[in-house]
Amino acid sequence: MKYAIHTLNKAFDHRVRLGVMAVLLANESVSFNDLKESLDLTDGNLASHVAALEKAGYVEVTKQFIGKKPNTTYAASAEGKLAFQEHLAALEKLLRG
Amino acid sequence: MKPAAQDPLAQLTEIRAIMERSSRFLSLSGLSGVGAGVVALAGTVVAHYYLLQEYGSQEYGAQGYTRLFQTTEAERLAALPFLMGLALAMIAAALLVAAIFTLRRTRRDGLRSMWTAPARRLAIALLIPLVAGGLFCLKLYLSNAVELVVPGLLVFYGLALLNGSKYTLDEIKYLGLTQIALGLLALLVPGYGLLLFGLGFGLGHIGYGLLMYNRYERPTGTKLTAS
Repeated sequence: MKYAIHTLNKAFDHRVRLGVMAVLLANESVSFNDLKESLDLTDGNLASHVAALEKAGYVEVTKQFIGKKPNTTYAASAEGKLAFQEHLAALEKLLRG
Repeated sequence: MKPAAQDPLAQLTEIRAIMERSSRFLSLSGLSGVGAGVVALAGTVVAHYYLLQEYGSQEYGAQGYTRLFQTTEAERLAALPFLMGLALAMIAAALLVAAIFTLRRTRRDGLRSMWTAPARRLAIALLIPLVAGGLFCLKLYLSNAVELVVPGLLVFYGLALLNGSKYTLDEIKYLGLTQIALGLLALLVPGYGLLLFGLGFGLGHIGYGLLMYNRYERPTGTKLTAS
């Protein structure tokens, strides 16, 4: 039996990236710290994966200042939402064999 | 065989869990509900005896609560400090008990903090209808519409729960609908207001609390062997 692995999106081949997209689809806009907390990651780990998703155009980044503290929030772009849903559909298809 | 990382079932399960966890406050303990219910029942009993003692022995008959409907403004203002104090004490005690049990569950689930993003969203979703309802009912009390206070408290509380339920366990939605139904019932039978108050805030919390505890928290001997 041949699995259609190639139908899975390369951008989501790491569980951290899958996790980031999952959080961003369930919530409209999420701050860096909340994202880190819900996925239980370190700063550097999360930053590099989010950067990859940003580069792919799947995540939109908003940088703001609250008082003097920088506050970065992330949201899934329309493209990102579509790509993630396609990825989920591909996973389900694999399951059904 | 497929490598573990590519296992679509494991991936889907994890994605689902992450989406749930990040958008809903799931650590709410059922025992919090039981505790809050016990506080509410105790408060209802105190209110009942306070009103009986204030109004029971007068010529109106031993009707404590219903006598409150016929009071003059001066009489209501005299009773207000006690009733407000009782209400605030009940809210504080219920919140304290709820926080203790939920904090315990958060620790047991291995989470670092109870005050997560979904918890904050839940708090805001609850607080807006609650504060509005509280002020509304205070005005009802002061404006000679005492019989509407208990129905108002139940309905507003039910709406607050309904509003907050999208950020937490589904049972909260049904608890909210129960409170709304009891509030509307209290409109029809104003004389039973205090009883319905105890039923909604007391037994309602205890019932749904036990239900949630049994569903999600009761220690089980057999471990689930999923994947």
